[in-house]
Amino acid sequence: MSKLQDVKLNVEKGKTKLVAGLVQEALDEGNAAKDILQAMVDSMGVVGDKFSSGEIFVPEMLIAAKAMAKGVDVLRPHLAGEGSVSLGTCIIGTVAGDLHDIGKNLVSMMIESAGFDMVDIGVDVPAQKFVDTIKENENVKLVACSALLTTTMPALKEAVATIKGSGLEGFKVMVGGAPITAEFAAEIGADGFAPDAGSAAVKAKELAQA
Amino acid sequence: MLTKRQNLVEVMKGGNPDRFVKQYECFNMIMNTPITRKKPPIGGEIVNEWGVTTRWPEGQIGAFPVHDEEHTVVKDITKWRDVVKAPNIKFPAEAWAEAKASAAAVDRTEQYCTVFVAPGLFEHVHYLMSMEEALMAFYEEPEAMHELIEYLTDWEIELAKEFITHIKPDALFHHDDWGSQINSFLSPSMFEEFFLEPYKRIYGFYKENGVELVVHHSDSYAANLVPYMIDMGIDIWQGVMKTNNIPELIKKYGEKITFMGGLHSGEIDFPGWTQDIIATEVEKACTEYGKLYYIPGSSQGLAISSFPGVYEATDEEIEKMSKKMF
Repeated sequence: MSKLQDVKLNVEKGKTKLVAGLVQEALDEGNAAKDILQAMVDSMGVVGDKFSSGEIFVPEMLIAAKAMAKGVDVLRPHLAGEGSVSLGTCIIGTVAGDLHDIGKNLVSMMIESAGFDMVDIGVDVPAQKFVDTIKENENVKLVACSALLTTTMPALKEAVATIKGSGLEGFKVMVGGAPITAEFAAEIGADGFAPDAGSAAVKAKELAQA
Repeated sequence: MLTKRQNLVEVMKGGNPDRFVKQYECFNMIMNTPITRKKPPIGGEIVNEWGVTTRWPEGQIGAFPVHDEEHTVVKDITKWRDVVKAPNIKFPAEAWAEAKASAAAVDRTEQYCTVFVAPGLFEHVHYLMSMEEALMAFYEEPEAMHELIEYLTDWEIELAKEFITHIKPDALFHHDDWGSQINSFLSPSMFEEFFLEPYKRIYGFYKENGVELVVHHSDSYAANLVPYMIDMGIDIWQGVMKTNNIPELIKKYGEKITFMGGLHSGEIDFPGWTQDIIATEVEKACTEYGKLYYIPGSSQGLAISSFPGVYEATDEEIEKMSKKMF
């Protein structure tokens, strides 16, 4: 098995104690940092698909993301010299009045694993704060807003309207959360919707590359 | 006409109930015990008996444990013994007087004298260390997790002894959320490895000591865990959500476990609720899930609603469905 395959497999299996060493070995063998990163992004794609289909569960997804993060730590100094491999910046937060962060954190982790630089602005985020954060950051390609309660769906609508009405451009807005449906997302003017963390990563890529 | 309690028994054994059970009507919860767990008031913050800081911010429909660097109790699972200290649950008889009086006032021909335990083992673990860290620790430090769960299980059995000694309950209502709306948090095999035996011990202990009925709350998907629920002695799964394919569950497991819920709090219990919305949802649920092995009710984990009037309106609609269907 090639070293890249080895890295890929061990990220997928969430081998947090092995991946850093394997990434180093892959570098030592002469693999480009960008290729190693891509191998890990690909494995997280597999992990996301398996999560969406119910084949694996939250711990398996978390542990795979953690394994990848350990690999990225080894790669980081090497990536600096190879130019940007980022898909852009993604701003993520749970909307005003909603304090749920677990789902949002999972989505954040998966979108990061797909190759975005994440700016997590936390929970209970007022609509204007999304806009301010877009202004404060460079290369924003995506804004992801989460709402976990039916009672905070109006706040999600307000967040999307405020972001869209800000006059800022160059990014897409995606939404999600337990009570959110594709229909509701379309109705409030979001560009995309994902029902779970695995498909959020796929949708994020799709939107950023559209 | 059957008593509320007799009617529930008929529903559970697939016999001849004469009406739908109305949500929590059979359970008289004894909440004024000295060992009932603390909850913050709305708008307030407490440090609970285990040292977990919990907040209930104004405008929210529940309390949240706080898991920042300053407040997380277990920061390193391998060192949990240094920081997790079980609270005292031995209180003098006088401290139980109010609860005993409440228990004595329960007409046990109508209702079950019910004790309430929350959070359960899984929730307790992530209250102590945060959800993400807890879920990863099942993989990274399984031995430490087994030890911590065993410690919490031993403590829950001590808690059970106190309830049984002072109140002699005949039902237990036990919370532990095991999933999200779309799936269980843990795979069935991981759930089995960590939680089956501990819960068999806890629920087995209650049943060996006079508790007839174990009601477990998990307002989530958990269809994949139902065989374990049966094995651990759960009689009623409260909080079953529509994402579970309830008709199929009733058909497959109804003779062994009863399903309570089928109405999502989020769909009926919100500021803009109307009697019509509740009527539609209740009718759908009662018609689709039927008279046996099913108790219509909101997924809410107590006999309350987040918005005034919803609980009572739901009861009214269930009563109407009883008149139509029985």
